[in-house]
Amino acid sequence: MTVFRRRAAPGPVPRRRGGPVAAEARWAWLFLAPTLIGLAILSAGPILATFGISLTKWDLLRPPDWVGLENYAALVQDKRFLVALRNTGFYTVVSVPLGMALALGLALALNHGIRGIAWIRTAYFLPVVTSATAVGLVWAWIYAPSGGILNQLIGLAGLPPQKWVSDPFWAMPAIIMMSVWQGLGTSVIIFLAGLQAIPQEYYDAASVDGAGRWARFRSVTLPLLTPSLFFTGILALISAFQIFDQVYVLARPGKPTEATVTLVYFIYENGFKNFKMGYAAAASWVLFLIVAVLTLIYFRSQRRWVHYQ
Amino acid sequence: MTAPSLARATALAPFRRPRRRRLLRLTRRGLLYGVLVAGGLIMMVPFFWMVITSLKTRAEVFGAAPLSLPSGPHFENYANMWNAFPNDVTFGTFFLNSLKIAILCTAGQLVTSSMAAYAFAVIPFRGRGPLFAILLATLIIPFQVVLVPNFILYRTLPNPFSESGNFIGTQLPLWVGAWFGGAFGTFLLRQFFLAIPQELADAARVDGANPWQIFTRVYVPLARPALATLAIFTFMWTWNDLLNPLIYLNDLDQYTTTVGLAFFQGQHVGKWPEMMAGALLSLLPMVVLFVVAQKYFVRGIALSGLKG
Repeated sequence: MTVFRRRAAPGPVPRRRGGPVAAEARWAWLFLAPTLIGLAILSAGPILATFGISLTKWDLLRPPDWVGLENYAALVQDKRFLVALRNTGFYTVVSVPLGMALALGLALALNHGIRGIAWIRTAYFLPVVTSATAVGLVWAWIYAPSGGILNQLIGLAGLPPQKWVSDPFWAMPAIIMMSVWQGLGTSVIIFLAGLQAIPQEYYDAASVDGAGRWARFRSVTLPLLTPSLFFTGILALISAFQIFDQVYVLARPGKPTEATVTLVYFIYENGFKNFKMGYAAAASWVLFLIVAVLTLIYFRSQRRWVHYQ
Repeated sequence: MTAPSLARATALAPFRRPRRRRLLRLTRRGLLYGVLVAGGLIMMVPFFWMVITSLKTRAEVFGAAPLSLPSGPHFENYANMWNAFPNDVTFGTFFLNSLKIAILCTAGQLVTSSMAAYAFAVIPFRGRGPLFAILLATLIIPFQVVLVPNFILYRTLPNPFSESGNFIGTQLPLWVGAWFGGAFGTFLLRQFFLAIPQELADAARVDGANPWQIFTRVYVPLARPALATLAIFTFMWTWNDLLNPLIYLNDLDQYTTTVGLAFFQGQHVGKWPEMMAGALLSLLPMVVLFVVAQKYFVRGIALSGLKG
């Protein structure tokens, strides 16, 4: 994963004033012009701007009002924000490992080169391709308190029907299950690619040395799969913190119960329903800092547990 | 069991009980196959349910068991969903809007990401490394973090042609940004361009080609699989996007399928047959795209995920 390994780019650049290299270098800026504008105005620049906006109180109708770090102080005391933090944290801590473990199991099973694998792959990847809105609608029905499939199924086992999405205890697990279901396909394919890249010789050598199936998995498969695990993990971590669509579709109408308010929903609520732009910006900046710190830690840990071939 | 005797047992085993081992392997494989197919079917159950629900009447949906088959295919649900909106707006309007925006975004990403990837991969220039690192850093940031400033930007820029005087309430914020580069596409294409031998570019240079010609005549044709992959992913993400159309669009006739579905859900509570019809209709292009282009999907994810 070359995200922060700058040495992966081809060699150092000669620094002559004129000449063919410098002339071609000028072309580079031409090719990069749209991207540079985009970076400045739409991505890197706005992140700095978000910080600036978070230092104001702004409802878009009147000019912004400078309030310094007041928004941040208010955030720390805002119960809904803390609940959003907690919910998002819970969601991440549960859905990321769960999704990865399930996907790994599936990939190991699918790696056997069975006939008809293309169809099975399509089946597992279809949820990924579906829009979150449609997925949310389907699962809203599955989770429906009266007449939903899930309640009917557990009714067969003699258990009482639950309210699921409106139940403060079950709401987040319900959303987790739905997201894991939808996200399986991508992870499975990444793991499959990683599994297929492991040379058969390593397995043969391990068998000759007397390693059983579990030992082979632990000392050959798992270590050589760590780059794929790393990549899937970072994707899962980042998208877990961004969860919004499923909550919006499943937890409406009305307000979501406290149990499903997530960070991005909090930002959306404050920015685009209550028009408290400064407050929403402060929450965005907190989200950014959290993701940045976690990603940094995650990348640093790479050295300890990821083996590149 | 110690290692040497285990090895001896494994080595001798094929000669000792071949038939029993084969039976064991067959049953294990059969079990595996069974579990996979069962799992696949479970994944498909929601879709199956969507299809049969869209063909039922409302009474059947609430009365009979969820997975029961409809009495007869009630295609009028599709017609009802199609026409359920006021002012001459139909579901087809949403469909066309989604299509237009997705195509514009895909085209924009293809053009600008490939240009940037070419610069990063092929042209040596000062600051190339740090600049690429900055670009990649924006990948990590959840886009919701820049949601507020982008919204304010589009609100501040004057637009004489719109009702609001700025860009809010138009479809422009949904696709213009795609024409200004993209970190994912640039990263993906750069990996691909790096794998193309330098000799080809050098040969073209010797023939007097300028970088633009090398780009269009050598690199772009060779990068078709990666471009196809990027196109598919961009189309998929744009087609399924809910948040951006939700905050930038106000008028019903500009809505995309995602917002249209959410709107319908809010207005007509409990009309499951029609809603499932709408969800299936909006899903159709993506399914077709995936079935047709499956190998590009797999290759695209593998390209970006394997060794980095």
